[in-house]
Amino acid sequence: MFEDQAMSVVFDGSPLKAMQSSHSLTPQAALSAQELSQEIKSFISGIDTVQGRKLSVREHARCAVRLLRSVPACRGAVLEHLRGVYNEHVSAFLHNLETESDASAGVSSNLEDIIQEVHGVLSEFIRLNPRAWAPLVSAWAVDLLGQLSSKHAGRRVAPHSSSLNELLQLWMSCAATRSLMEAYSQCLSAMLAWCPDACVDALLDTSVQHSPHFDWVVAHIGSAFPGTIISRVLACGLKDFCSHGAKDQGLMVMGTDKGSRVPKIGSVVGILGHLAVHHSDSIRKELLRMFQESLSPSSPLSPTTSSTSWESSPQLRHAAVPFLLQLAAMSPNLFGALSAELVELLRPPVLLQLQALLQGLPREELDNMLGLAVHLISQSQSGGARVLRFLADTATPASVIISGPTPSPHEGVREGCDRLLQMLLLHLHKLVFNRSDGSEVNPHHSASPQPKRVIPFLEELQSHIGELCAETLRLERKRHLWLHQLLCLLSVYGGPSVATEAFCQLLTQARNPEELALAWQLHTTLSSCMVGLIAAAVARCVAQIHTHTLGPKQLRQLLLNLAAAIQSQDEERRGAAAGVQSSMAVQVGSAVSINLHDFGPLLLHGDPAVSHAAVRLLSCSPLPRTSSPAQLLLLSRASVSHFFLSLRRTGEVGSVGRDGGQAGEAVNYSVQLLSRLAAHSPLTLKAILQQLVEGALHKGNADLFGGQATDMSGAPVTAPSVSPDLGASLLDINCRFGTTVNFSGSVWSVFHAGVIGKGLKVRTARQLPDPSGVIQNIQILLSVIVQCCSSSGLNGSINGSRPPSDPDEPLPINAEAAKVVAVTLVENVCPDVANGELSWPPEEHARTTVERDIHIRRCFEAHPVLFPLLQVVAAGRPALCYCSAVLRGLLGTLLAHWEACREVLSTDSPWHLQASCLLVSCMGEGQLLPPVLANVHEAFPHITPFEVRLLLLAVWEYVRGNGPMPQKFVFNSERGLFCRDFSRDGDVARYVAPIHSVLHKNIDRLGHLCWRFQL
Amino acid sequence: MGDIRQSLLPRDVLSAAKELLYHLDIYICNLVQSGRQPPQVDSKTLELVEEFILHAPKDRSTPARRMSALQELQLLEIMCSCFQEQSRDTVRQLMFSALFSLQGNQADESRMALLSKLVSMAIAVGRVPILECAATWLQRTHRVYCVRLAQVLVDDYCSLVPGSVPTLQNIHSASPRFCCQFITAVTTLYDLTSEELTPPLELLQMIVSWIQDDPRLVLITFLNAPLSGSQPISSLDVTPLGGLMRWCVKAPLTYREEKKPALTNGTTESEPEVGPLFSGLHLSVLQVFMLLPSILNEKGLFGRLALLQVESLAALTSDLSRLLDQADKHTHTSSADTHSLSQLTLDRLAQALQVAMANGALLCSREDLRAICSRLPHNNLLQLVLSGPVMYYNNIHTPPLAFSPHAAHSPIASHPTHPPHPAHPPHPVLPTHTPLAPHPSSHAQYPAQPFMTGMPFPFRPSH
Repeated sequence: MFEDQAMSVVFDGSPLKAMQSSHSLTPQAALSAQELSQEIKSFISGIDTVQGRKLSVREHARCAVRLLRSVPACRGAVLEHLRGVYNEHVSAFLHNLETESDASAGVSSNLEDIIQEVHGVLSEFIRLNPRAWAPLVSAWAVDLLGQLSSKHAGRRVAPHSSSLNELLQLWMSCAATRSLMEAYSQCLSAMLAWCPDACVDALLDTSVQHSPHFDWVVAHIGSAFPGTIISRVLACGLKDFCSHGAKDQGLMVMGTDKGSRVPKIGSVVGILGHLAVHHSDSIRKELLRMFQESLSPSSPLSPTTSSTSWESSPQLRHAAVPFLLQLAAMSPNLFGALSAELVELLRPPVLLQLQALLQGLPREELDNMLGLAVHLISQSQSGGARVLRFLADTATPASVIISGPTPSPHEGVREGCDRLLQMLLLHLHKLVFNRSDGSEVNPHHSASPQPKRVIPFLEELQSHIGELCAETLRLERKRHLWLHQLLCLLSVYGGPSVATEAFCQLLTQARNPEELALAWQLHTTLSSCMVGLIAAAVARCVAQIHTHTLGPKQLRQLLLNLAAAIQSQDEERRGAAAGVQSSMAVQVGSAVSINLHDFGPLLLHGDPAVSHAAVRLLSCSPLPRTSSPAQLLLLSRASVSHFFLSLRRTGEVGSVGRDGGQAGEAVNYSVQLLSRLAAHSPLTLKAILQQLVEGALHKGNADLFGGQATDMSGAPVTAPSVSPDLGASLLDINCRFGTTVNFSGSVWSVFHAGVIGKGLKVRTARQLPDPSGVIQNIQILLSVIVQCCSSSGLNGSINGSRPPSDPDEPLPINAEAAKVVAVTLVENVCPDVANGELSWPPEEHARTTVERDIHIRRCFEAHPVLFPLLQVVAAGRPALCYCSAVLRGLLGTLLAHWEACREVLSTDSPWHLQASCLLVSCMGEGQLLPPVLANVHEAFPHITPFEVRLLLLAVWEYVRGNGPMPQKFVFNSERGLFCRDFSRDGDVARYVAPIHSVLHKNIDRLGHLCWRFQL
Repeated sequence: MGDIRQSLLPRDVLSAAKELLYHLDIYICNLVQSGRQPPQVDSKTLELVEEFILHAPKDRSTPARRMSALQELQLLEIMCSCFQEQSRDTVRQLMFSALFSLQGNQADESRMALLSKLVSMAIAVGRVPILECAATWLQRTHRVYCVRLAQVLVDDYCSLVPGSVPTLQNIHSASPRFCCQFITAVTTLYDLTSEELTPPLELLQMIVSWIQDDPRLVLITFLNAPLSGSQPISSLDVTPLGGLMRWCVKAPLTYREEKKPALTNGTTESEPEVGPLFSGLHLSVLQVFMLLPSILNEKGLFGRLALLQVESLAALTSDLSRLLDQADKHTHTSSADTHSLSQLTLDRLAQALQVAMANGALLCSREDLRAICSRLPHNNLLQLVLSGPVMYYNNIHTPPLAFSPHAAHSPIASHPTHPPHPAHPPHPVLPTHTPLAPHPSSHAQYPAQPFMTGMPFPFRPSH
């Protein structure tokens, strides 16, 4: 009894009781011949021949079972009769379910009893002699199962055939079908030992016959014997395919609906599809094993006994690969299972075997297979990238230079892959372009836009665009051509977003002009069908910048690439060929200019390389026509900051090596950028000049121009630790004087020189880092400012249409720009706006502003760059007028100095001498002074301090008398300058008298200068 | 008879068959009563049978009708009672042969299927007349079909339905003729060449018990046979003696080979019994041979009818030499065991040959016998048998005493002028051994050839 149960396969934890042992083991031994004869008669007629009454279903069935046990010849009839019994039970069972009443429970339980009995007998027979009974019972059970499930498929309680699980639940809860299933399983487990093909064949046949309704059986059996069923099903399918699959193959490449012509492969696919839900791993293993073993040379001693059937036949082995392809073509599930790992298997030795195998096939068949493979690849939903990589790797010709991790494949294999790849590309090309054609051909369908045909391969690759681009950019022989083609297809397929992505990736990843050319090629191909690609790509790049997804290197590369793109425009313009590329360069330029304000902040990027690239881009990109002032201001601020930064970098790295060169280059670009920006609009001009001046005077940048960091008072800052505590405080002093009057601005508050009684303030030692560097920096700054001031931004509006007569002659400094510089200068140098009017007071009044004047002088001391700036301002007449206060203050302190000076010669106070000279020459240049007066500075080095004071006083007097008013200047359109007509002012002779006196006095030394002071 | 076809056509399958049977019965009764000799069923009727009972497709236009298994069972049941109720033996025989004698057309397959089921059922329900008819059928039909019938019966009773062997056992008492023919067919079927062609143990036991109970059983067909000349070509042998002898001789070799897979399967039940069974069977066979002279003499056939064919004997010896070769090659480990088994085989062969020749079952000169047995390895008894009834020897060579294959290969053993082995007393297996009767010289085909004693003969033990 135990054995009995063990033999019958246990389902769902509720096995049928394998019959009462009293019945099974000791058959009613001695039925005599007569009795048997009676039994047969009763069985045939359905009437108890002894008592003459009709047999009940149950008794009839019992009778049948007895005959089954004793009369072998009745076997067929009995099994046939039992079909009826099983059918009746199923009907009753379903009826019971439908009515949901327990009225008929008695009937069904009666029959259930009988069914258990029959099941017991059958399972006992199978157990005792599986060879004889298993084929018989399995065929019967499968057939009956098929009949029952398709006959009762339409019942109300029967779930739809698509809901496999419900169906399975229903049928397994029915004793009859469960018993059949168990019997079949038992047969199967017995038969698998010696003729597995036969039983799976029967299963397949029945499955074909009762197609959807029988699926639950197959699924159940399959999940009970996954390994064997899968491999058997495959083997059967292969045999079938081999026998008549080859002819139909061509038809089935494109239209899988023709699959009905090969019934078995259809059901193979169906069954495996069911099993794939739970046993996809086993299925995959089996498929791959089939593939591998079809390739491996036949080994007669192969230990795999389970499936020696198909492997031994060379014909079947040849058909295995086409068969697998066919399977994959018919079922996405199987294809998915197969494709995932197939590529991993295709190592060089396997490829060689595959090639050897396929060489034997006729050409037509090969073509079919190739087409099928291409179709499959284009339909693969996952692993496309891997497949592609594999194909490209294998198809790439061996090279001495590029040696991959794997040894170079066999030449034949390579050619095969090459061909496959090209066909794949061609196929994809067709798919992609037919697809878009289709949507264009039927414009009247546009109301209900039919979904575009999906190409899974491309769908999947869309997420690998970055890698594809990187691969493409490696520029390996043929590979980049293929990949580039694929990128084009992908872009067309995926629409603007994908195209943008690809383009963007190429722009980001290209490292040199050759690689960048790929991007242009892509654009050339796509430009016909896509508008605004470049703009979108640039916008996308900007978005990436904002999200900080790019590393510094990538960012730098992107900016450089964009710059290169724009610059190619210039080159094109110069060159003769104005092709697509130039138009594209224009597009890039405009796209960049639209997003210029987004690139602006990059100027101040922490990485010098990035900021360098940014300035390069910005310096060459066109400026936006319309842009909000805020953005422009931000941009100009960033540009100016970058200018100073780059100056500092030049100073830091020196001009040695590549970095130095780059830094210098950066300064050049920066200058270019600034001048372009300044030329863009008055607003930017003003902003830039202002910021340049401010920046130059800012304590952070002061040292660049040989200046000192000064505090608010204009005095050089000493580090607290350095300056010794003098023990004096202004508070104490003020308390001692006993007054709370604020002497600010008066003589009394002069503490600049130090505390009385303590000696002079200790000046911190000035360390000028590098005089030549300072000079260079000042030159650069000045050239920037001059460029900005002389740029056409304002000239156009003020100078009118004055053509540049001589390109070598520098453009004149623009008055407005110079005014901006002047005003900024005043604001920064002169902290006090009191007495800030343009006209000069008498010289004595200068005492009231002595503190301010000292501040001004210190400023000039601390910032050597101020004098050159003043010179610039002076050049832009009449802007120097606005510097009136500064000039006055400086002149005042100089006068005081020279008055107090007890030296013999003016050259003994060099700074003051220089300042005086520069001041006067500036005022002369700015036409605040007539030439006679302006020339006095030439005499300064040769005379005594007092005489210098006399001359400076004369200057003062003149300016006081002829106030520095801008309105005194008249625009000279011929020269494009403002000029002052001194003849309209008062007589100069008045002021020349001291000059002449000094000349007389020092005629021995100043004789050569006399002509300078002629009126 | 042909005109009833139109009336049968519209009927359903079963009633058409029933009606045809009815008409056939009447027709054959009439045929017998008309006293025409020989009573012959005409071809029209046979066609009707094929169409309505066997359901062979008559032509392509009409699809073949098929009976369900239930209807077929009803038909079988009707046939059973039909034959049972027919009292006249001739009519039964005629009807049986009208239904089941093979016509060499495509209906034969269904004919065989139906016949197999009918006989199987007749065995189950004990229908003696059908078994008698089947015995006759087995005598007249080509052995291939006989073997198929036997196969079906063995499958039905010995493997498919457990516990039904006793039913088959009953045929011995029910119809000895059928039983005898059944044994002949079974021994023809199972020639021990492969695993499939080895008789199931139950069958073996049953046959052995039958023969042990009644050795004359195997001769029943021969006893009842009218004359030796009426045997159809390639029908079964008249007696199962040849087949049984083959079983006994080959059994030690074949069963030994099967021992190993059987052991791995774990089914040890059939292991120990086989040896004694065959031993007993061998004794019975020899006993049956011993019965022959009186019967042959009675029929006046002694020395004229060979119950053992020389051709089958030749086939047997060549089989044997192949098996012994294989045994030598494949079993390296238990060579002693192998050796004793092959000697047992050869012993049995020698005994059977000697007894058969002595009792007139094998008509063959010793020269022929030596030629047939020339490829067999050395065996003392066999050599004795081959050398004839010589009680003395005059050879100077020392006879080889060792029986090992090495001795057989030794130069002395393979000497072309190898003398006959000194005779031993008759084998103990033959306790009632009578001196060998001389061959009757009257037989024309096989003239008695007195063995020239001491004559050298080319005996090569093997290879």
